[in-house]
Parts: sequence; structure tokens; C-alpha cells
Amino acid sequence: MSEATLPLQAAAPPRFSEDLVAVGLGLLVFLLALVSLAGADALGWLVTTSVWSNPAIALAPVSKTYASLGGAGSLLLTYLVLTAVLSAAAYLLGDDVKRFATAFTAVFVIAYASWFIGSWAYLAAVTPADQAKFGISRSLKLTNEGGYIVALLVGLVIANAFPEFAERLKSAVRPELYIKIAIVILGAFIAVTMASKLTLASSLMLRGLAAIVEAYLIYWPIVYLIARKGFGFSREWAAPLASGVSICGVAAAIATGGAIRARPQVPILVSSLVVVFAVIEVLILPFIAQTFMSHEPLVAAAWMGLAVKTDGAALAAGGITQSLIQAKAAAEGVVYQPGWMLTVTATVKVFIDVFIGVWAFILAYIWTNHINPRAGAQKARLGEIWERFPKFILGFVATFLITLALALGTTVGSGQLNAAIGEANVLRVIFFLLTFFSIGVMSNFRQLWQEGFAKLAAVYLVSLFGFVVWVGFVISWLFFAGVKPPLVS
Amino acid sequence: MSKPDLREATSAHEPLLPIEKKLIGWSLGTGLALLALLVVVNHFVPLN
Repeated sequence: MSEATLPLQAAAPPRFSEDLVAVGLGLLVFLLALVSLAGADALGWLVTTSVWSNPAIALAPVSKTYASLGGAGSLLLTYLVLTAVLSAAAYLLGDDVKRFATAFTAVFVIAYASWFIGSWAYLAAVTPADQAKFGISRSLKLTNEGGYIVALLVGLVIANAFPEFAERLKSAVRPELYIKIAIVILGAFIAVTMASKLTLASSLMLRGLAAIVEAYLIYWPIVYLIARKGFGFSREWAAPLASGVSICGVAAAIATGGAIRARPQVPILVSSLVVVFAVIEVLILPFIAQTFMSHEPLVAAAWMGLAVKTDGAALAAGGITQSLIQAKAAAEGVVYQPGWMLTVTATVKVFIDVFIGVWAFILAYIWTNHINPRAGAQKARLGEIWERFPKFILGFVATFLITLALALGTTVGSGQLNAAIGEANVLRVIFFLLTFFSIGVMSNFRQLWQEGFAKLAAVYLVSLFGFVVWVGFVISWLFFAGVKPPLVS
Repeated sequence: MSKPDLREATSAHEPLLPIEKKLIGWSLGTGLALLALLVVVNHFVPLN
């Protein structure tokens, strides 16, 4: 068993590696999404949850084609299909299928209930317009991605207060499998985002390159050095931590953990820190931007993309910043065209995202060949690098390239492609959700804190608020100062 | 496979290997050089 594979109560030896199963499932979702380009809506029955104040209308199928199913019907169908497909995956991984299906039922119910609660308007509504729409005067402004935090917290409560129940869930607590499937699907989502902003993306190419340089070549080595020399962390912890703080949070930490063959709990614990700090950033940075950068809107927008970790949190921060700065500018008689600030945030973030695979490849090469070569071997063989290379990254690259080729090289309409990949993205969100719940269930927080979890948080705090946020601001200023969004004529 | 222990993670006293120093040095050096280059290019090709 490779070190990247979770410990399971295996009923039989694994028939396939977890990476291959994850790539297979991710590609299956991707292909089903593409089927809709031929006119058949294969994923439209998946359930989605809107931000709600009336729970009766919160759930719905993602496509209107399946509206007759209703929210409850699409939720039930989503559960049944996921249980069947993931039980087949459990069989391929050598797990006890019956035990997996039973545990997965509880995992899905609790995780999706957490997502539902996280979408409550009092927790999720972000802008004053949203609050007015739901008839509320205040909210925690977590966006509906706050559901990830709820799932994580519920998982933590189960792990710490109900350890026997956590033990029963164990066979379906598979954060690595879930996140790898999600990352394969994410490749397609990033491609459509890039293709839809191609004109702007090409004009922002230079600034995107600066974001890549900053995240991978400046932040990463400094955080790694601080973790290793300043706090004495081992390589296994320092590398995922550096990626989590520097690049784009959860996906980067997991990809790095896979690349260096860290034990699965390591990037998972780093990921939980990333999420907590990203939420804190979303709640603080847009208001700082409004106070000090309202006359440099694109600097503020780029800063959100560079400083806020995780895609969802960065885009949420970009959206809030846009609302706050537009409101302040309008009060001064300056009315900017909407959308430009959020587009800059998204473009910067996407540029950083697309290099995760390349960076993971570089780290995998260095770790396999130089830091952790097999005993008795002077240098790892090329075949060994392939054997230890995290294959799910190839799935990510494949869905990204195929989608980009479809968007740019064919006559497929961008709206049609966006809708198809948007449906696959619903499953990406569900797999992220399952990951966060699983992270919670696997983490005995009290014990972790006693064992030195505070030190991990200290590295994150020192790095993020010590220089990541401020260097991000300086670089955003260097490249975007003086550039304003067009005005409404 | 053992579970990760954070006390173990910070008390392992793994010295920085030459390859890690190289990774840090080359990344930072390349990053700063590229950033300087991009700032210069940005000056001559401003965003419209």
C-alpha cells in the first residue's frame, strides 16, 4: 500500500490504486457532463442548494429539465447514485462494500445537512442586496461555502464527542478519494472560467504571470523556510503547509501531500487550517480594501486573488470588495461598470491554480529523486517517478486541456459548455463537502492541540499576516495602480 | 502506516538538505529576477 492511501479495514487487497479510481470517477463525471453537449442532460438531476430563508424552496435539481423531480427527489437520486458509484469504487479499493454503503449513508446525510445549514441566509448572505432580498438585517457573510465550515465542525464534534460513532463511519471517511475526484472535475471548471474571460485573460497575461511568480517562487520558499528553520517542522509537514499558505489552499496542500507522499492526515490538517484562515480573511480584507483602496479598485481586486486562499473564499472576497468599493465610489459620484473587479480577482486566481499540477510534478520529482529515494537506490528510476507520481493530477490536466480545446477550438457554444461543466461542478462541490466532513471526523482536535497543533497555526498566522497579505498588496499595486474599471456612461 | 504526530513533526530535527537549500534558493532567486523583469515589461506595456 502506498503511503498516500488511507488506512482501510480492507476486506480484500486493493484491485486498483486510489489515484486511478479517483481519476476514473472524475473522468466519468466529466464525460457525463459532456454528453449534454449532444443534447442529453445526463447530470441535470443532481441536487443544488440555494441560499435560503425559506427551507422549503432551498433544494432543487441543477437543471430545469428535471424540475419535476423536486428538491427532495433530486436529493434522494443524488444520494442513491453516489452510494452506488462510490460502493463500486470501495469494491475496487478492496473495502467491504456493505459496510461502506452503510457508513456512506450516514456520511452523506450529515454532510449534506451541514451544507444545507451553511446555506441559511443568516450565515451565507453576503451583500446588502442579498440581505434585503431575504429580509434580514445582518448575516455572517460566509457565502454558501460556509457549509464547508459547518461540515468540518460537525465532523470535529463527532470525532471528539462521539468517538464510537466516528469509528462506525470510518470506512466511508475517505477525504483523499473525495478530494482527488473533485480536483479532476475542477480542471474542467477552471478551463471554462479561463475560456470565458479569454480576451481579458490575454490582456492580463503579464499580471497573471506575476501572480504565478509570487505564489510559487516567492511565497512558497519563504514559508517552507520559516516552517523548517523557524519552527522546526519536518519536510512532510513543511511542504504541504507552504503550498497551503502560498498557492490556493486546500487543493494545493492535498496535491503537494500526494506529490511528496505525505501521510494523508498531514495535508488534511493543513487544509482545515487553510479553510479557517480563508474565512477570517474574507471577513476582514474586503473592509480594509474599501477603507484604504477605494480609489484603486483593481489593486484591491487583484489583492483579494493573491492574498485570500481557496478559490471560493477568494472569489467571495472579490465579490464583497466589488460591492463595497462600488458603493463608496457611487457615493462620491463615480459609477464603475460592474463585474470588472471580480473578473480581475478570478483571473489572478485561475492563473495561480493552473500551475498546481506543474508545481506538484516538480516537488514529486525532487522528493522521489533526491529527498526520499528508495533504499539502496542511488537515484530513482524514471519508472519509479511514474509509479510514485500522483496520477490524479494527470486527470486534472486532462479535463482542463480537453475543456479548453472544446471552448477555443470547436463551435460548441460557450453557454452550452459552461452549463455542462457547471453541472459537473455540482458534484465537485459535493465531493469537497464530503472531504471537509471526513477531515473533521478524522481529527481528534483536542488531542491534536495537546500534540502541538497550535504551532502549525502559528506558522500559518506568521506567514499569512506577516508577509503573504502585504507582499500581495505591494505586487498588486505595482501591476494595477492607476488602472480603473470603465465608468458607466 | 503511522498516524502523524505533530510533536514528532517538530521534534524530528531534520536538517535542511542541500537539495532543499537549492530549491529555496533557486525558487527565490528566479522569482525575484522574474518579478523585476515583469515590472520593467509592465512599465513599457501598461494595462489598458
